[in-house]
Amino acid sequence: MFELIKNVNIDFLGKRKLAGMISGAVILAGLVSIVLHGGPLYSIDFEGGTEIQVLFTESTSVESVREALSDIGYGDAAIRSFGNEDEFLIHVKTSTKSEEQVNTIREALASIHGGGYEIRRLETVGPKIGKELKGDMISAVLIAMAGIVIYISIRFQFMYAIGALVALTHDVLITLGLFSLLNMEISLSVLAAFLFIVGYSLNDTIVVFDRVRENAKEKRHDSFLSVINLSLNQTLNRTVITSLTTLTVVLILLFFGGEVIKPFAFALTVGLVVGTYSSIFVAAPVVLAWDENQKKKKNN
Amino acid sequence: MSGTLRMRVFLVVLLISSAAYMLKDTISYYTMDETQKEDLIESGEMDEIRKNIIHQGLDLQGGMHVVLEVDLEELIKTRVEDGDAEIEALISSSLEEAQNNETEFFPTFAKNVDATNIRLARYFPIYEKGPNSDVMDALEADAKDAVDRAEEIIRNRVDQFGVSEPTIQRQGAWRIVVELAGISNQAQARELIQATALLEFVLVHEDPQLLDEVIRNIDKAWAADMGEETPEDSIDIVAEADTTVDEVAPSLADVLSGDEGDSLSITGTGDVGRPFSSLINVGSNTIWVPEENVRSIKRKLEKPMIAAAVSSDSKLAWGVSPRDITGDGRMHRALYLMKGTAELTGDVVTDARESLGGFSGAEFVVHLSMNDEGSREWTKITAGNVGKRIAIVMDGNVHMAGVIRDKIADGRTQIEGMNDLQDAKKLAVVLRAGALPAPMIIEEERTIGASLGADSVAAGTQATVFGFILVVIFMAIYYKGAGLIADIALVLNLGFTLAVLSTLNATLTLPGIAGLILTVGMAVDANVLIFERIREELRNAKTVKKSIDDGFNRALTTIVDANLTTILAAGVLWQFGSGTVKGFATTLFWGILCSMVTAIFITRTIFMVMTERKTMTKLSI
Repeated sequence: MFELIKNVNIDFLGKRKLAGMISGAVILAGLVSIVLHGGPLYSIDFEGGTEIQVLFTESTSVESVREALSDIGYGDAAIRSFGNEDEFLIHVKTSTKSEEQVNTIREALASIHGGGYEIRRLETVGPKIGKELKGDMISAVLIAMAGIVIYISIRFQFMYAIGALVALTHDVLITLGLFSLLNMEISLSVLAAFLFIVGYSLNDTIVVFDRVRENAKEKRHDSFLSVINLSLNQTLNRTVITSLTTLTVVLILLFFGGEVIKPFAFALTVGLVVGTYSSIFVAAPVVLAWDENQKKKKNN
Repeated sequence: MSGTLRMRVFLVVLLISSAAYMLKDTISYYTMDETQKEDLIESGEMDEIRKNIIHQGLDLQGGMHVVLEVDLEELIKTRVEDGDAEIEALISSSLEEAQNNETEFFPTFAKNVDATNIRLARYFPIYEKGPNSDVMDALEADAKDAVDRAEEIIRNRVDQFGVSEPTIQRQGAWRIVVELAGISNQAQARELIQATALLEFVLVHEDPQLLDEVIRNIDKAWAADMGEETPEDSIDIVAEADTTVDEVAPSLADVLSGDEGDSLSITGTGDVGRPFSSLINVGSNTIWVPEENVRSIKRKLEKPMIAAAVSSDSKLAWGVSPRDITGDGRMHRALYLMKGTAELTGDVVTDARESLGGFSGAEFVVHLSMNDEGSREWTKITAGNVGKRIAIVMDGNVHMAGVIRDKIADGRTQIEGMNDLQDAKKLAVVLRAGALPAPMIIEEERTIGASLGADSVAAGTQATVFGFILVVIFMAIYYKGAGLIADIALVLNLGFTLAVLSTLNATLTLPGIAGLILTVGMAVDANVLIFERIREELRNAKTVKKSIDDGFNRALTTIVDANLTTILAAGVLWQFGSGTVKGFATTLFWGILCSMVTAIFITRTIFMVMTERKTMTKLSI
């Protein structure tokens, strides 16, 4: 038998205070960043605006693109060189009629090299649709979370649902914070990745809970703390292996999946790591704390 | 082999073979070259194939996704007469308020109007006089009609977009979503979506000899065109092309209902000398083309050489709705030979409404009214052409060709012969579309160039293959023999997922590919759970067979619980997500579902077959 981890008996719960401090610090840093930025940084999907990925036939400098855009009143446009010297991503803030906006930008681009350009991607979202999309996606995340709590309450007990919920919120907050710290935009696909994280993180958490439930039945005389610790150790191999295979494919997606998918793959990568961590260091301790609290109440 | 095991093996074989069958079309579609595709399109088989394949999303094959919304501001302001600052401010502030609060405009507007003493009828004399609520209703109906008209204009232009399967959908009351896959000219497509429609009234030629001549000329030009491609055939073709087509006089039924009930002369098929006439049916001055030949004929007629075969003062135009004229269920499209210039254009139309009428009062009709200038012209046209057909043509497509029964003096025309209220309604919308502008704005546009799409496909495929291979190797090293079994399950899982997506005719997007990659990573989870459990049981010194049984049984609930939550999340995502995100939800959902089947059922069956005969003392795990 080839095993990554042999006969381990790590006292995971003994490190719950340290873990709590680390998680708290990371979340706090993220929240501070979000507050300082005046809220999460949304992409045009939610904020409205126009994004154009343009490929010029000749190599062009960011300055000349900026100049052309300034001439038509888009001096505040964000222009990013896209890999090579001739490809750029132009991001323009919303205006009332996106159509006219697109047309004037086209004209400006044509003026740079006398027409030698190709628009590889153009996305423009009106402020109205952006708002609606934001509402839709937020309710999607909330509904998914509510559904999951209900499911776990039925299949397990309410305290497990609380553990899972805290872990999920933890994961989403950390990922959100990290996006803010790195100045990365939250787009539709990034939000989709968040929802995936919700599902995946839970997958991990449930595997642990399942073991806890089973062990709690078989080892009635052991303390709940040692039962949880035992379960965490028993499932550790599986947790590590599954996370590794999934992480492998997600990293491949991040590095070889192309520019378009990069933010999405990044959100998945962060979510995977945080989700694996949280099922061990957040979900399980919360369940233990809840259980101890209940017992205290009973004894009083 | 025990009975249950035999049953399991049978089921596994059945699953695999049906998956292979479901994948057949997808595989052949994506491996064939362009000429093979062309052939299948010409023969009409492509439609059938395309029903059973995985489609590429707009972000992969390149294309355009446009959401149009009625421009209420523009629409309402053009309806206002003698407007003043007060009404204009009221409209603007209501629009703004509705947008900021994400509420509907009309209730907001109504609320704001109620707060003032404004009498709306004063500003909107085009609607019937009445209390504010009536005017408001009329205005709302007007705005809804603009969306109807815009949708009809876009549908009518479907062919001009030059894409195989454009989708045009209504989203709520005020929006139209247009998706054009593989579009090459974005600017042109954007214009086509938004331009106003050209409605024309054109007389249809009622001259059998002229039609006969045109058909023969096309035959000749077509044969010559084919001759250019295969010169050795040319002599034969020209010689044989001189065949007359039987002509049948218009039947009485024409008078009442346009083209319904045509008598037909059906010519032979597959005749090389008459490449055009062998593909069509000709009856009472109209050419009827069987649906399966429409595409190839359209293409040929677009060639300048063949188009020139129609004399300059005439033109051919297609009818929009297919009809079963032979009565055997085969649908035909009409091809009309009509005058080269229009008698009248649609801007004279003031209104068109569907209703019940006709002789019996129970027929579906459309009432058409025109302005004074139009009425005068219309009187002249109808008086001089009684008994002839006049076609209602929008942007080159014939929506109706009705027989003029009488001189129409007052511009109020009743059009009869509609099959149902739906038909009548559609024609009324078409007539209005030609006259009234339908102001729409692009609220959202997502355009991906074909080159970027191709890059994404390449990168996505590479990532999937790479990730897949790495996971397969890892499993084989870590779990040895059992790992190989898991690898078989992994291959099957990918195959099953793609098979389900093919059958569902699903669209694969870039996030969808990511979902597929994720399933590869996560699919092993179920196997890992089982194998780790089997290892534990083996450590407890159980026999191999007992360990396998217990391992599978105890891991089962965990697998179901854990995967169901991810499936739940995917389901929610599917429900709320839009466009490309939906593609992610779809692949994730089916991928995980399939992984449960392969991991729980198929790997277990393989283990069962292995341990069936001999008592194993060692398990490679």
